Amino acid sequence: MLILKNLLRRKVRSALSLMGIAIGIGAIVSFNALGQGFRHALDAHMRETGAQLLIINKTVQDPAFSRVLKEEQDFVRSLPAVKNVSVGTFSIAAPRGLKVKTFMPALLVYGRTPGDPLLEKFRANIRGRLIEGEDEIMLGTVAAENLKLEPGETLELFRRTFRVVGVYESSISFERIGAILCNVVLQKELQMGDAASIVFVYLKDTAAWERVKQTVESAYPNLAAIRSEEFTLFYDQFEYIDWYVWIISLVSLMIGGLGVLNTMLMNVSERTREIGTLRAVGWSRGRVLGLILSEGTMLSIAGGLAGLGVGWAAAEGFIRSAPRDFFATRYSPELFAVAMIVALVLGLVGALYPAWQASRLSPIEALKYE
Amino acid sequence: MSDPAVRTVDLVKQYEGGRIHALNGVSVDVARGEFFCIMGPSGSGKSTFLHLVGALDRPTSGEVWLNGRSLSSERDLDTVRAWEVGFIFQLHNLLPALTSAENVEIPMVVSKLRRRERRRRAEELLESVGLSHRRDAVAAKLSGGERQRVAIARALANSPGLILADEPTGDVDSKTGEQIMETLLAVRRQVAATLIVVTHNPRVARDADRVMEMLDGRLRSSGQL
Ligand SMILES: Nc1ncnc2c1ncn2[C@@H]1O[C@H](COP(=O)(O)OP(=O)(O)O)[C@@H](O)[C@H]1O
Ligand SMILES: [Mg+2]
Repeated sequence: MLILKNLLRRKVRSALSLMGIAIGIGAIVSFNALGQGFRHALDAHMRETGAQLLIINKTVQDPAFSRVLKEEQDFVRSLPAVKNVSVGTFSIAAPRGLKVKTFMPALLVYGRTPGDPLLEKFRANIRGRLIEGEDEIMLGTVAAENLKLEPGETLELFRRTFRVVGVYESSISFERIGAILCNVVLQKELQMGDAASIVFVYLKDTAAWERVKQTVESAYPNLAAIRSEEFTLFYDQFEYIDWYVWIISLVSLMIGGLGVLNTMLMNVSERTREIGTLRAVGWSRGRVLGLILSEGTMLSIAGGLAGLGVGWAAAEGFIRSAPRDFFATRYSPELFAVAMIVALVLGLVGALYPAWQASRLSPIEALKYE
Repeated sequence: MSDPAVRTVDLVKQYEGGRIHALNGVSVDVARGEFFCIMGPSGSGKSTFLHLVGALDRPTSGEVWLNGRSLSSERDLDTVRAWEVGFIFQLHNLLPALTSAENVEIPMVVSKLRRRERRRRAEELLESVGLSHRRDAVAAKLSGGERQRVAIARALANSPGLILADEPTGDVDSKTGEQIMETLLAVRRQVAATLIVVTHNPRVARDADRVMEMLDGRLRSSGQL
């Protein structure tokens, strides 16, 4: 009762420091939700291929730069445990090279081989038809919408003119915002020779993945064979993103923490007389310490809860205003738990010094304070 | 049972490293159930004396005994303050954001009483000071006399054997002051506690069992009796 009333009494100040915490926690929640959403979408993309293993060149940082040579592809194909492989190429086109006015930040370009299962899977959900020749391209629904293109129209890309032969549906966001053309075109335009960006490996027996992985990686130390569900774990640039997210979050948290510190310090110094009175009627130092700490904790729990809302609203607002399907959010219970724990620790740490100061007040000091 | 409620032995209190001599050796016994009154000019050491007896502060030298127990051997004065002494300050010192009842409950927070029992006791105490109708009023909204009566109820919360009042009527007009003193004396009679009052008011002193005068940090018998 005492705690709440003291906080409510300083409505404006409590609200301000509550906002400080809410913004800090909101930053954690929104950035992490976006990061998690991105990972999740990419993982879904890779899992959907149905491949057990993905082979990439691990000596480069980004999948777009990965090169798996023909010799290496053939080696994998020849392994007895391997049923078949699909070869994929990948690049990211900048919209300014497209000669089309669009607000989409990038066009993901996938190279596939006519007849390959990774291409055939679109046959059921396509307006128009699948690509068959080198000057043909098909677009995901969202990409087509963003570029305002329909089957039959043309698109200039990589200094060539392609005819849009189909617009395909997909449950995978990274496919909806992408375009698919023939592997040989990407290989030619990116001067890849007959290398692939990524090799999708389908095994006869799923359990054999570990053995295949070892065989490939020991034969070609420059390659990595990654289980498709672990794709995002492999790329450590996502870790940099995580670090970046945490640094931003920590800075906002510092501001939140200083807010609590300031609020509680002011509360304590204003309440010298009241705290002295509590001591005078028999409250121990520990009890006074507990009082101020609980006030800080209440403040931070309220701020944390508000922060969950703020973070959710910010992330969802961002997604709604950003081009469709380029970003996604994902909220795990762990994220909310971590955010609340951080808020709590913040409140406790921010209140610790003021609480210690309050507990050192002697009853006499409070009485002469007039 | 022959121990006095309060015994001070050569009580000395200095402030600011000995530059201020607030008390210069006060030795006095106050019997159980006695109404003891201290008068004297401002700055003579009355409050200081009350603070030492009420375990709010420790003396520079000398000793305070409450019911035959020396405070200087007590490590923890909090419990003495909580259970043995009820203090009424010149300025009520209520927590302004809390209601009358909540203010009275504050000392009981230290006790093992449940919330509901605390509440009931607070209501009883407020009734005994004639403030039942104001129990849910926020302290900041009370009149000066009402606040001081709430402070009296708060002082009685944990049923202390000793009540100390430092100029309880010093901050209100004389009529209100009289009501406050009436209330204080009435409840004291009910609980049979020892009462020490510091006052400038001769009418208060008239009701006391004994009056002494503080002068320059020394207590002497008052000629006025
Ligand atoms: N905390 C303190 N620090 C320094 N001097 C004090 C303090 N408390 C009281 N004094 C001084 O001690 C003397 C006695 O004060 P006090 O006991 O309050 O007198 P009274 O209550 O009789 O007016 C005064 O000179 C006062 O200024
Ligand atoms: Mg005084």
